[in-house]
Amino acid sequence: MNIKKIREDFPILNQKFNNNELVYFDNAATTQKPQQVIDAVSDYYQKYNANVHRGLNFLSQKATDKYEEAHEKTAKFINAEGIKEIVFTKNASESLNLAAYSLGEKISSGDEILISVMEHHSNIVPWQMLAKRKKAKLNFVNITSDGRLDLDDFEKKLNKKTKIVALTKASNILGTINPLEKISKTVKDNGSYFVVDAAQSVPHTKTNVKKIDADLFAFSAHKMLGPTGIGVLYGKEEILKEMNPFLTGGDMISKVSLKEATWNKLPWKFEAGTPNIAGAIGFGEAIDYINKIGIENIEEHEKALLEFGLKKLKEIDKINLYGPEKEPRTGIISFNLKNVHPHDVAQILDENAIAIRSGNHCAQPLMEKLKVDGVARISFYLYNTKEEIEKFVNAIDQTKKVFGV
Amino acid sequence: MVGEIYTEIILDLYKNPVNKGNITKPEIDVSGGNPSCGDQVEFTMRIKDDVIEDVKFTGSGCAISVASSSIITEMVKGRNVQQAKKISREDFFDELGNIIQTRIKCALLGFMVLKQGIEAYEKNESKPTIIKGIVI
Repeated sequence: MNIKKIREDFPILNQKFNNNELVYFDNAATTQKPQQVIDAVSDYYQKYNANVHRGLNFLSQKATDKYEEAHEKTAKFINAEGIKEIVFTKNASESLNLAAYSLGEKISSGDEILISVMEHHSNIVPWQMLAKRKKAKLNFVNITSDGRLDLDDFEKKLNKKTKIVALTKASNILGTINPLEKISKTVKDNGSYFVVDAAQSVPHTKTNVKKIDADLFAFSAHKMLGPTGIGVLYGKEEILKEMNPFLTGGDMISKVSLKEATWNKLPWKFEAGTPNIAGAIGFGEAIDYINKIGIENIEEHEKALLEFGLKKLKEIDKINLYGPEKEPRTGIISFNLKNVHPHDVAQILDENAIAIRSGNHCAQPLMEKLKVDGVARISFYLYNTKEEIEKFVNAIDQTKKVFGV
Repeated sequence: MVGEIYTEIILDLYKNPVNKGNITKPEIDVSGGNPSCGDQVEFTMRIKDDVIEDVKFTGSGCAISVASSSIITEMVKGRNVQQAKKISREDFFDELGNIIQTRIKCALLGFMVLKQGIEAYEKNESKPTIIKGIVI
């Protein structure tokens, strides 16, 4: 993997702020976009902008082809059966809302939903709302002291009333990769539906939805070099068939009379209204880009950065690191400097043109569990380098000096 | 220079905040936060004969938000309710010093929560007033 060459594809990285080269370490929030993706979006608007699934004109035909092709590329990328299993949404949050709303119709009063304390708000709040609506009970799997899913607690909380299990594949704070392949059989044997939030895993590691055996599986394009405003809900065909649409209106119907409507075939049944066509096309291009580099190579590169980063950060005095000591974990490191608020860490880093994230990261229950108000987080992707980590470590030293730590 | 927004006054008040704590049976108990960053602050105030006799704050936040909350307590202490209400942003930043645009919200959190508390107390005809969950 030639990082120098890869970096040339990302125009944003070729900029200076306060006379410093940009170091972008906030990839778990969103990633930068290569020129190829930017061009694909712009090409659509410049050369074949038209609505999809509607016109007979050649522009609409080309837009439709490219839009559907993006579904095909996505299906292949995660080893789904085909485009009927790939629903485009606006982001992973919408995908999980769709899951909770439509699959949620199968929940009755007294049923249970099982999630974990390490979930992002997007995999908590939709289930909270569902539990309230249906008078169901929402249970939380605990985490172990080293930040892994507590599998004993999971076994304890999974019971015959558990209708839905919804878990993250990788934590956006701890970086923990959860062994969902191992527990999916237990979930299925229990007769529960299995929903997976894969927003932090699909961009970084090879995904095989068949191996995880998830019924529904959510992720988003902008965290994997694609545009914002496009997300994915993979669903097993038989599950999607059983589910009612979440959003209704144009393009998702087969027939509408004044009294009723019947649904279009999959996946269009779940894609009401004019979709984010440019976003989808850009996403298709992002998948091509990742495939060209090779997701395994990206994973290996991030592993090396993680190892180097952890080693460097452990050498720093008065720092707390969160997340598992050992693999499997993704390229995310969350930390706090003693007596310095994470926002203030982020401020000093920002003055060095190092972009990181600070705060509660949309995971307040996990923050409570870790007994912190917030954390500072760095997260890597294919264009990051060890030199950037060294710059980061220097800026941490500066932060300590400013705050007299 | 890197870190120059962390002036001596901000760093001092962050490390040793003045008026940190809680007042029991306060006339005003007001709290709020900034959901986008997670900073939280709560003020409790003792008011006697229209004069703010004592005010304390608790909360969690960055250096700028903690120092700012501490400064505003100093500014209102000993004043009457009308005087406290009239403290403007300009007055506040005169005390705190200039803050870069991206951190203005951190600086204003305490200022705005406390002001809303005083306004609510006035509307409530100076009866003990509790307001929670103000979103800034």
